[in-house]
Amino acid sequence: MRSPRICFWLLLTIVPMVVAQNLNYQQDPTWRAPAEASEKTNPLADRPELAAGGKKLFTRSCVECHGKSGEGLKKAADLQLSVVQGQSDGALFWKITNGNPDRGMPSFSRLPELQRWQIVLHLRTLKPTESSP
Amino acid sequence: MDIFPLSCIPPAVRLLRALLFFFLLAAATVRAQEAPYFVTYDHHLEEPGNLEIETSSTLGIPRSGQRLFFAPYSEIEYGVAGRWTAELYFEGQSTSGDSAVFTGWRLENRFRPLKREHWINPVLYLEYEGVNEATRIQKEIVGHSELSNARNAELADMHAHELETKLILSSNLHDWNLAGNFIVEKNLSAAEGFEFGYSLGVSRPLAKIATGGECRWCRENFIAGVEMYGGLGSTVDLSLHETAHYIAPVIRWQISDTSSIHFSPAIGLTHVSNPVLLRFGYSYEIQAFGRKVARMFGGGP
Repeated sequence: MRSPRICFWLLLTIVPMVVAQNLNYQQDPTWRAPAEASEKTNPLADRPELAAGGKKLFTRSCVECHGKSGEGLKKAADLQLSVVQGQSDGALFWKITNGNPDRGMPSFSRLPELQRWQIVLHLRTLKPTESSP
Repeated sequence: MDIFPLSCIPPAVRLLRALLFFFLLAAATVRAQEAPYFVTYDHHLEEPGNLEIETSSTLGIPRSGQRLFFAPYSEIEYGVAGRWTAELYFEGQSTSGDSAVFTGWRLENRFRPLKREHWINPVLYLEYEGVNEATRIQKEIVGHSELSNARNAELADMHAHELETKLILSSNLHDWNLAGNFIVEKNLSAAEGFEFGYSLGVSRPLAKIATGGECRWCRENFIAGVEMYGGLGSTVDLSLHETAHYIAPVIRWQISDTSSIHFSPAIGLTHVSNPVLLRFGYSYEIQAFGRKVARMFGGGP
């Protein structure tokens, strides 16, 4: 009697999880940093050597979805595109901080502020390419 | 219920065996800068699609006349969606001079109602617990407490179905995390009313800037803090008498990109608290687990 009951509860748990998983991510045109956030400048802008630390953080936290060179996998943005590189440091920082949870991009506000700015430094080292039409 | 006698093994050997068991399990759970707390939750959820496996334990140092206990538990945490994390727990307990018992399972869900980061970030928590009275993991402290000397065999036969809810409030302020949880628990198997509890935590990474090279011992890999938790009585007796409270320094060490350990010695503050609870935890994270599983079945990129 116990096994069917356990199976029922497991199914009841697992099925909604699978259904809720976002498997078809597409870029969200409404995901824009507020003007005030976009205007912020990177406090580490004059310390480019800290981009190495940013690369390490990027490798730990971002590569799984964005790829080693930021080329982007199917569900995550290609960070080399000019549509991304054209955004201000403040806008990128805001996006790393807040994420876009409904589209699969987690918030990284748990990282210290300066480490998030280090990630922005690293993003600027990615080779920009033209956006596809 | 699987019960095997431990009384024929000396206590020191039993403790050593329990610790060895823990570290062996540890060779099998948190990643980039997760909070070091054991009891308090902050507003950060598991990244969508990631699976985290954690094994933790609570070692209870007894008062005189009480017995030492060791309560290991394993948790499997999955980022179901960007604002929904689910966790499944299995727990056990071994008491010095008594037996080792499986004490039950828990299924918890955390939902984040707000999409963006705010000054205070609320998270709603709902948990079902299918446990017995031998449970000692002390993942939360609610209601009133008593230090019982009853045998595990008796306690394991007393089943409890419990629903627990928490209001989690958490802020990140200048690299500090401040978190507070208000807990309401209802035992559906007994007329105990609603029991209340709290936990508060504050923590901070030891370094603000990441170094360029890989390093295991550098300060950026450590987060330290302190948490305090305890019971707030129940609707039957809404008072603080006979409630347990603890204050606990906490530290987490990120040992690799995917694994970390954390430790906390909790000091009991009242006469119904254990004098000391030593908590250890090891966690390992599998990134993009959902996508890897989807690939196995021919889906996903």
